Formats: sequence, C-alpha cells, structure tokens
Amino acid sequence: MSKKYTKGTFLIQSIVSVIVIFYLLPFLVVFLYAFKSPQEIIGSSPFSLPEKLELVNFTQAFEALNFFQSFGNTFFITASAVLLLILLSGMAAYSIVRGGNKFFNGTYMFFIAGIMIPYQVIFVPMFVLGSNLGFINNLFGVIFLYVGTSLPFAIFVMAGFMKTIPKEIEEAAFIDGCSIMRTFWIIVLPMLKPVAAALTIILSLQIWNDYLLPQLFLSDNSMKTLTVMQSTLFSAFETNFNVGFAGIILSSLPILILFLFMQKHFVKGITMGSGK
Amino acid sequence: MSITISSKPTSIVHKKKRVNARNIQYFLLLLPPLVFFIVAMIIPLIMGIYNSFTDWDGISLEKNWIGFTNYIEIFKDEMFIESFKFTGLFMIFNTIIQNVAAFFFAVMLDSSIKAKNFYRTIIFAPVLLSPILVGQIWTKMYGTILPSINDLFALSINFNLFSSPNTVLTGLLVANNWQWIGYWMLIYLAGLQAVPKDIYEACTVDGGNWWQKFIHITIPMLGPSITICTIGIATGSLKVYELIVASTGGGPGDSSKSTIMHIYDTAFMSQQSSYASAMSVVFLLVLLIFAFIQLKVLRKREVEL
Repeated sequence: MSKKYTKGTFLIQSIVSVIVIFYLLPFLVVFLYAFKSPQEIIGSSPFSLPEKLELVNFTQAFEALNFFQSFGNTFFITASAVLLLILLSGMAAYSIVRGGNKFFNGTYMFFIAGIMIPYQVIFVPMFVLGSNLGFINNLFGVIFLYVGTSLPFAIFVMAGFMKTIPKEIEEAAFIDGCSIMRTFWIIVLPMLKPVAAALTIILSLQIWNDYLLPQLFLSDNSMKTLTVMQSTLFSAFETNFNVGFAGIILSSLPILILFLFMQKHFVKGITMGSGK
Repeated sequence: MSITISSKPTSIVHKKKRVNARNIQYFLLLLPPLVFFIVAMIIPLIMGIYNSFTDWDGISLEKNWIGFTNYIEIFKDEMFIESFKFTGLFMIFNTIIQNVAAFFFAVMLDSSIKAKNFYRTIIFAPVLLSPILVGQIWTKMYGTILPSINDLFALSINFNLFSSPNTVLTGLLVANNWQWIGYWMLIYLAGLQAVPKDIYEACTVDGGNWWQKFIHITIPMLGPSITICTIGIATGSLKVYELIVASTGGGPGDSSKSTIMHIYDTAFMSQQSSYASAMSVVFLLVLLIFAFIQLKVLRKREVEL
C-alpha cells in the first residue's frame, strides 16, 4: 500500500520471516535426512548437517521406487491425459460458446454439474464399470478416467476464455469456405494457448500427484505410478528411513523443476482455475 | 459480411440453412468430450445409485433389489457417523484456519516488504507435493524428528500428535494447512492486486488509517475471493483421503478415519459394494447441499457488502 519502508513494514517483514522458517522446516528435514547415513539418524540433532553427502539412500530409493518405470508411467499418464483434456475441452468449449442455442447451453450445464461431483465419491461404481471395460492394469483406462472426470472443470475454464475471443476472425474463415472443424484446428486452437498453458499446469499437478485412481486400477508392478510406489517406501525401510526421504525428493523433483521454470504460469493457472 | 447486410430477406433463409449445417458440425465436435464425460462420470453415478438399492457384494452374480435397506443401515452404522463427524470437524477447522491464514499471508505479502517472491515461493511450495508425501513427511516429523529436539534441549513437549485420538485431528490439520494455505493465498493475492489503488488513496485523503482501509476496502473488495476459497477449502477437506492413508491410516483406533476412507474400506475390504454405494450417495447429497448453501449465503453477503 504505502511505498516507504516504515516500522510497520519491518514488523510485517519479521512476522513473515518467522512463518517462512516454519514452512521451511519440513523441507530442510527432508533434504538433510535424505543425505544422512543410517548411523547419523540416531544421536545427532535433526538439524545438523550430514557428515558427508550419502548418495546410497538415493540409489536405494531409486531401485525401490523402480524409478524409471514408475516415472515413465506417471509421465505417460499425466502427459496423455492433459493433452487430451486440452484438446477435448477446447472442442467442447468452442462448440458450446459458438453453437449458442438451447441445446448447447443445456449441454454446458450438464458438464458444469460434473464439477460438483468429485470422483472420490463415485470411485466404487467407477471401479466396477472400469473392470468391465478392461481398465484394470491398463494405462489407457486410467487416462480415460482422468480425462472424463476432469473435463467439466477444463470445459468451465475453456468456455470462460472462449467467450472473450472475438468471432470476426472465424467468420472471415467461414466466408473463405473453411469448415468448422478446420477453423477450429487452424484458427481457434492456436488462440487458446494462454488458457491451455494455465490448464496444463493445474491439471498436471493434480494428475501427477493423484493416488486413489492408480492405486485402484494399476496393481501390476510394471504399471505403478510414483505416488503408489512412494506410499510403501517408509514401511519398507523402517529402520533406515532416510531412503524414504530420498524417495520423497526423487518423486517430487520433476514437478518442482517444472515449477521453478514456469512459476508465472503456475500463478496464472491457479487464479484462472479458481473460476473468476 | 457485406452480403448479409445488403440483401436482408434472402440472407435470412440462407443463414438458417447454414446455421443448421453448422450446428451439426458443432455437435460433432461436442460428441467426443460428451462420450468421455458420460462414460467416466454419468454412468458410474447412475450405476452407483442403482447399486445402492441392491445387496450386491461387488463380485458375485447375485444382485437383489432391497429398497432403502442400505440407507436405513447407514444411520445405524456408528463407524459411518464417527467418520462423518471427524470429516466434518476436519472441514470446519480447515475452512476457518486456511481462509484466515491465507488471507493474512496475502495481505502481508501485498505490503511493501522485501523479498516477496522468495516468501511466496516457499509458502506455495508444499502445494506441489502429493498429499501422500505430505502425510509421510509429517508422520516422521511428529514421530521422530521433533521428539529428538526434546532430547537435545531436555524439554518434554508432546510432539507425537498422531499417537493419541485426542491430538490426531490437530496433527492432521497442521499437515493439511501447511500444504494448502499457499494455494489459497495466491487467489487472495490475485484478488488484492485487482483492487484499484485509487480507492486507497481516496481513503487516505479522507483521513482513513490502515485499519479503516482494511475493514472498509480490503475485505469488501475481496468478497468474491472469499467465496471461492471457502467453497474450495470446504469441498477439498470433505474428500480428504490420501493424506490420512499416508500418515495415520485412520488411527489410532478409527479416530481419524475419513468418510471416503470408510467408503473405500467398506467396498474393497469388507466387500459390501452396494452398501458403500449407498454411503457415497448420501455423502454426495451432503456435499451438494452444502455447496449450494455456501454459495447462497456467501453470494448474498457479497451483495450486501
């Protein structure tokens, strides 16, 4: 509010600093422990620096997580689902906003009602249906379910953006004899880039970190995702739990790196996703 | 464009035909998303409602219509009521703590302090973690790391919050709020940045101090953000599952079992699929009624302010 650095500002600065130290503590512990040797857990202070950087924890966690496999699975599921979601929500939002009659408005309301239903409430019949459709131990099945359950939210955000795009450019394309499908591909889709970037981030975060769906559907070891593998790591390494901490770093590193590079988009994605 | 303006009567006929042809194309674009949505959500929803009126166990071929028996059973099921109470308390405390904290963090980070970006990044960082990881981190914090501070300084603070039914809710609230405050803080920050600065200046000219500005400008202007955050936090807390699976596992005893966790156990551990579906339906109704009331109340407040 005021530009000067007053006593009040200093007070706020101190309060925020204390809060941030509290916020950092768990992170600090994760990093320190991930590099400590099992002998160092006992006896030394939790906040002392590791005597030497112990990378054994990481190699052990790497093996226990079956890292390449589970990372690959998580990446494949997240990337495919998000790509499909962007494309399908763009298609739906385009036809709903431009179609503009009662039928399309009704369909929009039908989709939007889905936002109110978290998939955690319908996972029991979802599992029954999924097992009949052959979704068990099938990465594509899980992708399908992520797409279907996240579509209402994605369409909501997309349609909000779509309404702000002027019609004139498309009209010009129609007059030149462009079909609606072609217009969508060539003209509309590229214009959706900003909202697509924001959606990509928020949806990736959700799907990357999700646990319930892969836990239910992907029981085969070669199909498991990072969160599912990580969930048993601390019970598997009960005494040298440093491995668990190394696993936490390994399984969250990709998303942390993504965040560091795309911080601005994250902020935009979240404020856009909040539906204002 | 020029043709439609110059020759009105004929163009209307043309336009109608063209619109119909267009609508078919629009519909074709709409079809694939509809299929995904209907298969993944609407069919399971209908199946769930249908199954809730049967005695199906989830595996066998036998499925008998039993009417409202499952629903009557729910209100006699102590575990459901307990888990519902726990989830309700978790939601109420979360909504208050997260809203207030996120709001004040945002206001503080919107002042002229230094290193704002650094602070914001740190407070936001836990949002990036899976609730599974957050549950694991805090289990170790309470169980091993914080107690060793006691040993170091010869203190006797009870850090082991997950080991007693009386403190397990507090422990989970700390973990959950550590993770999510940063998320809602971003929404409040965006709301604050949208407040026109000249309103504050006008208030300063009229002799208003920072407190009056806060009460009469900041809070009313953030009305829409408060609505979004309250509904978001409340519905997010009601479906809590992963955090608890990775930390207390519902314990000690069943003291921290959430509703979703109880539904999961009923469906997949005790093989009562239809009963679990009935619980889901009840839970969904509660969720919908709740969201509806919140929306009504909060929107009304927005107008009044």
